Amino acid sequence: MRSNAPVSRMERFRLRAGLGRWNPGQQSEAWIFLIPGLTGFVIFVLIPIVMSMGVSLTKWDLLGPPEFVGIANYVELLTRDRVFGRVLVNTLYYTVVIAPLQLGLGLTLATALNQQIRAMSFYRLIYFMPVVTNIVAAALVFQWLLNRDFGIISSIIWDIAERYGVPVQPPDWINNPIWSKPAVVLLTLWKNVGFTMVIYLAGLQGVPEALYDAARVDGANGWQRFRYVTIPMVSPITFFLLVIQMIGAFQLFAEPFVLFGGEPPQSTLSIVYYIWQNAFEFFRMGKATAIAWLLFAIIFVVTFIQLRLQRRWVHYEV
Amino acid sequence: MQHKLVRVLMVVVLLAMFSSLAAAQDKAVVTWGFWGSPEEAATHTSVAEAFMEANPDIEIEIWHQPWSDYFTSLDTLWAAGDGALIPDVLFLSPPIRYAARGVLEELTPYIEAHDYDISDFWPGLLEYGTTYDEDGTRRIWGFPRDIGLEVLYYNKEIFDEVGVAYPTDDWTWDDLLAAAEQLTVVESTGRVSRYALGMEGGKFALFVLQNNGGLLDDMRNPTTCLLDSPESIEAVEFFAGMMDNNYAMRSANLGQAGGDAAVFQSGQVAMIIQNASRVSAFNAAGMNYDVVPVPIPADGQRAAAAGGAAWTMSALSDDKESAWTFLSWLQSTDGGQGIYTASGEILPALESTALSEAFLGSEENPADPPANRMAFIIEGRNAKPGGRVAYFPEWGEINGNYVRPVMNEIWAGEAVPAEVLPGVCDDVDAYLAEMNAG
Repeated sequence: MRSNAPVSRMERFRLRAGLGRWNPGQQSEAWIFLIPGLTGFVIFVLIPIVMSMGVSLTKWDLLGPPEFVGIANYVELLTRDRVFGRVLVNTLYYTVVIAPLQLGLGLTLATALNQQIRAMSFYRLIYFMPVVTNIVAAALVFQWLLNRDFGIISSIIWDIAERYGVPVQPPDWINNPIWSKPAVVLLTLWKNVGFTMVIYLAGLQGVPEALYDAARVDGANGWQRFRYVTIPMVSPITFFLLVIQMIGAFQLFAEPFVLFGGEPPQSTLSIVYYIWQNAFEFFRMGKATAIAWLLFAIIFVVTFIQLRLQRRWVHYEV
Repeated sequence: MQHKLVRVLMVVVLLAMFSSLAAAQDKAVVTWGFWGSPEEAATHTSVAEAFMEANPDIEIEIWHQPWSDYFTSLDTLWAAGDGALIPDVLFLSPPIRYAARGVLEELTPYIEAHDYDISDFWPGLLEYGTTYDEDGTRRIWGFPRDIGLEVLYYNKEIFDEVGVAYPTDDWTWDDLLAAAEQLTVVESTGRVSRYALGMEGGKFALFVLQNNGGLLDDMRNPTTCLLDSPESIEAVEFFAGMMDNNYAMRSANLGQAGGDAAVFQSGQVAMIIQNASRVSAFNAAGMNYDVVPVPIPADGQRAAAAGGAAWTMSALSDDKESAWTFLSWLQSTDGGQGIYTASGEILPALESTALSEAFLGSEENPADPPANRMAFIIEGRNAKPGGRVAYFPEWGEINGNYVRPVMNEIWAGEAVPAEVLPGVCDDVDAYLAEMNAG
């Protein structure tokens, strides 16, 4: 190939510099360009992942040398640790309740805000604001709304009870386990629904108007157009959000932590809270990383199932 | 001419540099680590300045971190193991956890060599910084700076308004209940507009020990949980009963309302049971209040816990004699103890400091409220080691996993003490058996 072809100046330079011509089998240059990114990935992602796997097989209080204990942490978690069972059930509750509500509410809001009304961007802003609100501030506001003794909503209920002599009392959100989990769900929904809404909004605007027109011509009413055009057309978005929201719900931590003033009742504890507790309250790094790996396994399996199931209900064709 | 001037100047400058270097080399440098709010840090800084004035040959360098970062930063420094970076004198809690890791210098030899008087500490308080070898050898690793003694704070205005006599030093639980009944205000709807008492659920062990019950049989080498003893159950029932009757604010509500200091200041509760840390806030708010020792059962005992964050010395310090000079000065009435006490931030670890003008005030220079400061002294003299203070590292996990969650259910009114406490003890005993076996 190199024989008698005219050689450009650039090529001469490359040949002299020993860089040679492009050759599919020769990838060293690619590696050079990848080094900056890869270095960060290896140091800050790959090594910590491998190390955490190692740590989960030890007993380690962060200061002394780690002591190898094999799979003892996993055995303890899966056989004897009753708290782990409880936080697992709580977390599943959050996931099963929060993810569908989040999607349903988000789609409803997005549909409502996808109309041509005045000051539309103002409404969108209002609904999106909680997403960028600091969770600590938001949780504090919820405390001041819901607290049985002095919360604003509770006060209204107390006032109604007093004025009209109705025997109603505001729910005891913190102390009653029937109410404490819904309090967390409420806060999480309020906080995150704006995100779901914005993604759905983008999705709705991508649905070709022609499809609605065609449906109209076929005599479909509003509900039918929503059910048979909108929902299938945004199903890739729904799938994406479902995966994201489920993972988010599995990793719920800050909401119960702040809502209940740093010491959440056991009925609201999540897996990630238990990881934090083991690591930084009990100084059991090995057990904490073991829980983290179990959580990873759970999320992995759930996401994998979702990926398999999506073939049945997600429509990618336009 | 000019050249000459420059040369002279250079020589002068060089000489000045050498002399200051020499001066710096004369001075020992002790790095001092502590956590604390900006106000507390200001007090610490004034303590360092007072020390340097009294000891011109030692210079104190401050290493200050907020509470939230302090221990992680230290752990990182220890993991790196460079003695030059680790503070020589450190504020730590609980000190024996760090002693067990070998990062602390044992103070016992210095105490003996310098004849430091350890009998001045409140009874049992020094145990908080002490370990024992298997042959019984006592090793002291840290000097608690203060002692977390609880007293009963009461809002005089509310007592006056309701017409209830002020609490006295010899109040019993029955007196507390009788007053609580009058002080609590429940509206016809069931809404509680004032609770008599605000006390963190986490302090329940105070009542348990007052009633001759206990958490564990031994807080150093535990084998059995005592929370299911009749005395313990009775004490937990006493506290839970106060919550059920709306006399005491439920613990979670208290936390959500901003803690005992907030509800006491807002008048939402008439009394709180808490340590001296609230005094400065109440004085700043100009509250009309006083304190008495915590009421005890008729046949009970005082049960102040002897514990407090401690001054320790790093094992990697490069000038341990200077570090000791500073540390022992910190822990003296004329030194650090007096300054901290006068600032109103602490209840001193030394009885002599508590009995000094710095704490009790004098005729010409009366102390700030509360007037009945002797209440702290009464509790201090009755402080006991063990009981509520654990000296083994696994307690955090036992408490966090098995005790606290169930206690929280009791404080929420969702569990009955006599029904759930035996189960708590089953869990704790199983954990202890495994811990002692392995």
